[in-house]
Amino acid sequence: MRPGRRNFCAFILFAATAALLSVPPAAAHAVLLESSPAQKSAVSGPDVPIKLRFNVRIDALRSRLTLIRLDGSAQALELSKRSPADTLSAEATGLAAGAYRLRWQVLASDGHITRGEIPFTVTSS
Amino acid sequence: MARLLQVFGFLSVLFRGATLTFQSLAVGGIVFLMFVVRRAEEDSAALRHACLRWIRRSALALAAMQISYVLANSIILRQSADMPLRDVLGANFVLAGVIGIVSAFTVIALSSSTRSVGYADLLLPAVAIIASSVMTSHSVARLEYRAPLMAFTALHQAATATWLGGLPYLLIAIRQAPSPEFARRLSARFSQLALVSVAVLASAGFLLSLAYVGSVRAIYGTSYGAMVATKVLLFGLLLFLGALNFQLVHRGPASSILASLKRFGEAEIGIGITVILTAASLTSLPPAADLVQDRVTGSEIIARMSPHPPRFGSPSVQELPEDAYAAQKKAFEVGSLSTESYVPGQTGTRPNTPAEKAWSEYNHHWAGVVVLTMGLLALIAQAGRVSWARNWPLAFFGLSAFLFLRSDPETWPLGPVGFWATLADPEVLLHRFFAVLVIALAVFEWRVQTGRVASDRGRLVFPVLIAVSGALLLTHSHSLGNLKEEVLAELSHIPLAILAVTAGWSRWLELRLPTENQTRSVMARLWPLCIALIGVVLLNYREM
Repeated sequence: MRPGRRNFCAFILFAATAALLSVPPAAAHAVLLESSPAQKSAVSGPDVPIKLRFNVRIDALRSRLTLIRLDGSAQALELSKRSPADTLSAEATGLAAGAYRLRWQVLASDGHITRGEIPFTVTSS
Repeated sequence: MARLLQVFGFLSVLFRGATLTFQSLAVGGIVFLMFVVRRAEEDSAALRHACLRWIRRSALALAAMQISYVLANSIILRQSADMPLRDVLGANFVLAGVIGIVSAFTVIALSSSTRSVGYADLLLPAVAIIASSVMTSHSVARLEYRAPLMAFTALHQAATATWLGGLPYLLIAIRQAPSPEFARRLSARFSQLALVSVAVLASAGFLLSLAYVGSVRAIYGTSYGAMVATKVLLFGLLLFLGALNFQLVHRGPASSILASLKRFGEAEIGIGITVILTAASLTSLPPAADLVQDRVTGSEIIARMSPHPPRFGSPSVQELPEDAYAAQKKAFEVGSLSTESYVPGQTGTRPNTPAEKAWSEYNHHWAGVVVLTMGLLALIAQAGRVSWARNWPLAFFGLSAFLFLRSDPETWPLGPVGFWATLADPEVLLHRFFAVLVIALAVFEWRVQTGRVASDRGRLVFPVLIAVSGALLLTHSHSLGNLKEEVLAELSHIPLAILAVTAGWSRWLELRLPTENQTRSVMARLWPLCIALIGVVLLNYREM
């Protein structure tokens, strides 16, 4: 085999190996450190302040908070623009007593996307 | 939608790893050209053209990977958050990607073969390539010490590119050098550059570890810490090979050392890629310093790793959950999942049932018996006293059949899910791929051991596949939270991975080093020993 061809084969092997090896780690690194309401907690309604703190800076403009009701209906929550760099805040208003899930999705400043859900219950005040 | 996001999530990680690799090759080539070749006294026009050609190709591959990464991540963001395109385009990762793509094309434009001297203009796009990579690293998202962490990351990546990315160019230079003495001088110059790079790489890496790992307990108590420790171990292996190279360059006549230099260089490139990909895998993990709860303790590790009789009895298929995916989804719906953060397309994780753990332990222990037997037979075969021991690779057939049957019990032939349906599941597909890989190993290595393969290339299949398998283990999926079970499982996989990488490259060196090199006989004993040790580690693998 000519040296040029051999180099090309080595290059392809290098690229294929690189591609193959980097396949499995399907994960990202913005993780939720604390939340209000907390996981599986009970809070009094009808207005519930929401605050989620992460381990890294969050691109709030490109992050989402959605409230899911027991019947499956979803309501996008408006995010506060005055939150610290690692925090998402919003206010859910007029919530009837019952079970809810808070679905969050964040874009970390380094480009990683993470999501999760926080189940909680609203009690009548 | 979930399937689409899963595919693009999978692809974006793939592109990220490839981006880091090609970035190192492009930047490493530019540094090599400027600081190693340019100062060469003799005529080096052919060598300079060869370097420029490979810099162009690396930059083109880098641009392609960057474009693919930005597209995949944009699609995930747009689909998962129902976001308008103009918002997506303003994201930091898009800006970083555009800088990387423009820089890569600038390198292509500036590295035309027709230019002769002066490569200083290539430095600017090289710096921009590193900057674009730093923009999507951990450092940019940190809340404290952001600027110094970004600077250390840039230094760490630039030094990695100079050393590991420069190595392939050293091999090209040795091959194309007009005389052995000229090649020796280039190697000596690269050695000096590599020494400086190693010092910068290690210092910046140490400072980054202080910020991201934070404590000794986090090294063994978290996935991130364990992966950093693995990187340091592999780095030590690279330093050992680098020291052998350094010794070669500075003693002996040029004509006798070049062949050895090339072979050590090849092994260094292979291990170097593994380190870069381990680093790519680290970028997808939350830093250990952020996860202070639920860390694994030293006593938990000792309890898990202490010797224990192997499990040679398996639970029946009926004792396992009928459909692991459905069980996971159900667990998620009722909120019993053990992690709170996951990536789009994933459904989080569910703790394994005792039956599933027993099933997995049984698999590992029988695999351990087969691998230990192979390692011991290979050691005997290397001693040359027992001729039938050379047939040891045939045991791989048994391992492949075992893997095929037992790795995914919910699928055909043991479970209810049909053969074709399982191919859509990336995890099952990966296991099937492993089964085929093991058969390939059996065929190639048996032919090599029994003298049926004379070509050099055929003999290299086994070491390459073993080394690739080891690196695959290092980039295996990680947990986002501090899931103790997952961290403990990772801790037991890391020695397997390091032993496999060592086995692969020591066998490579045994096959490739010139016969007069004394290291060759050490390598000939090292790889069967590593295989036997893999068997021992597998035999002691536990999940409960």
